[in-house]
Amino acid sequence: MGADHVSTDTRAAESVQATLKSLVSPASERQREIRRIVALCIPFSILLVFSGVFPLTEMFRISFSESRLVTEGFTVEYYRTLVTDPYYRNIAFNTLWFAAATTVTSICVAVPVAHALEKYALPAKSVILTVLSFPNSLPGIVAAFMIIILFGNTGVLSNVFAFLSGQSRIDVAIATSVGGLFFAYIYSMIPRALLLLRGTYAEVNTDAEEAARALGATPLQTFRYVTLPQIKPGVIGAFILVFRTGLAIFGTVLILKGLLVWTLQIDRELAQGFNIAQASAMATVWFFFVFGFTVLALRYTSAEVSI
Amino acid sequence: MSEVSLENVTKRFDSTVAVDDVSIDIDDGEVMGIVGPSGCGKTTALRLVAGFETPTDGAIRYDGEDVTHVPPENRNVGLVFQSYALFNNMSVLKNVTFGPKMHGVSKRERRERAEELLELLDIEELADRDPKTLSGGQQQRVGLARALAIEPHILLLDEPMTGLDAKLKQNLRQELGQLLEDLGITTLYVTHDQEQAMSMCDRIAVMNEGRLEQIGTPAEIYEQPANEFVAGFIGTANLLEGTIRDGTLSLGFGEVDAPETTVEEGDVTVLVRPDEIPVGDGPLDVEVTNLFYQGEHVQATAELPDGRELTLRLDRSRKTVGTGDTLSIDIDPSSVHVIQSTE
Repeated sequence: MGADHVSTDTRAAESVQATLKSLVSPASERQREIRRIVALCIPFSILLVFSGVFPLTEMFRISFSESRLVTEGFTVEYYRTLVTDPYYRNIAFNTLWFAAATTVTSICVAVPVAHALEKYALPAKSVILTVLSFPNSLPGIVAAFMIIILFGNTGVLSNVFAFLSGQSRIDVAIATSVGGLFFAYIYSMIPRALLLLRGTYAEVNTDAEEAARALGATPLQTFRYVTLPQIKPGVIGAFILVFRTGLAIFGTVLILKGLLVWTLQIDRELAQGFNIAQASAMATVWFFFVFGFTVLALRYTSAEVSI
Repeated sequence: MSEVSLENVTKRFDSTVAVDDVSIDIDDGEVMGIVGPSGCGKTTALRLVAGFETPTDGAIRYDGEDVTHVPPENRNVGLVFQSYALFNNMSVLKNVTFGPKMHGVSKRERRERAEELLELLDIEELADRDPKTLSGGQQQRVGLARALAIEPHILLLDEPMTGLDAKLKQNLRQELGQLLEDLGITTLYVTHDQEQAMSMCDRIAVMNEGRLEQIGTPAEIYEQPANEFVAGFIGTANLLEGTIRDGTLSLGFGEVDAPETTVEEGDVTVLVRPDEIPVGDGPLDVEVTNLFYQGEHVQATAELPDGRELTLRLDRSRKTVGTGDTLSIDIDPSSVHVIQSTE
């Protein structure tokens, strides 16, 4: 038995040695390919460990800590609080319905826009694309500021609505309400949905669409029976991507505060309550929820998006 | 079924003229082919008939009715694509019933119609299959059944056999030719393959750079090409420059009687098809410069006494002929066709 154990160890050591040797001096094309893969993955692996695995592990440990500030002891109190306290349950509910509503709205807006962009020769198409992709590179705080400029107490559109309705500007200003936050969210989410949907549209079999038209289908019927089934994986992929974005938005909600959502509460736990353990528990729940949601969505749909 | 006409149709895309003042009348039940090289405008012509493009000038008529601005879904055309273009989210049966469904045909009737067509095309066992799992030939039959299911005014076939292997193409060509004949359906068949067009179409329109070069039966196009382009595009052509004086055609290396139909005098271009040049016994000696074995025959390039090249068709009994050999040929006046120069 002991001899077997030694023999297994020896074999394992030899195997590691052989692998290292093949990485240093590969003898076959397969080994050269593995070396290339390893070389390509090393920078990301280092990054993953130091900026992903390590902080996540620490966060996970602190979330079970008896102390609010350091890792000490073990308790599930913070998780219990998240489940039982109506305050946190309400935040979770707000986060989910708001992300879902803004996601559905964003997809509904993005599908026809992607359709128009990919199906028709639009004038100044490159300018339109630049404008539409602009929010992708804007920080959420800037997006929030733009909403204030438009819908704030002295906002451009608030002035217009006040003039048209005869109400005061403060009465019609929606920047810091749920409505303002809604616009700010979809402003950030539509371009992300577009990015994915345009790629999907580019792969749509236009001959099949023309065949449907020739067979008597109206443009709407063609979309329903031929185009939509083809873009369905892209739509689901966009839903997953945009929903995750909706759950993660922070800068915008930090400024507008129209609704108390999960990310904003994590900030409050950290900045106002100095409750690192509770914040860690919330972040851990957030992480596993998003990860699980994505895995399940990919498992049970034909979505075209990665984890 | 119906008559379909393109009347002085022009289609421009910005500064490019894809179809240039083309007029074609397709008779009821006729199979009309449009052939030409890539970019000649043949597919644009088909798309104009289908309604996917609107002419810049001219009109499209079905049975005399102007349909120029009628959208594709209201034209009742059966369209078969080179890429098959089947609906991969539907079974074969649903693909075939799709058109009748869009036309409001009852569920029972459209199913019966689809089953009938699948049987006609000998693919009834594929009814429940996913189109992605079918071979190219099977997909093309499904595409054809789907197009026929709406009982179209006109069947439009856009390079339907490109992408199929040679044997399958030959079989499908025979079957499709027979089917179109049996159904008597008005058909527009677009292809770059002149052999397919010659064997399947009642008439052929030859297009080049958007223009209609000639329209006629396959025999007319082959034997009496209107110009050098048609002569060169359809079949293999020997185009020789010569001079006609007093009923004699001088070809430089020799003289023959001018064809009886010729009324022109002076410099002309003449066409002599390789298969109309008898080899083995004749007054003219040529030197073989190249040989191309083609299975059923051998195509040879030979040099005339004045240095010009001539393409010959040798039967397989002459497979011992090698490059550098001298062959005796004869040019029969009846095989010489004076054609209009395109220059």
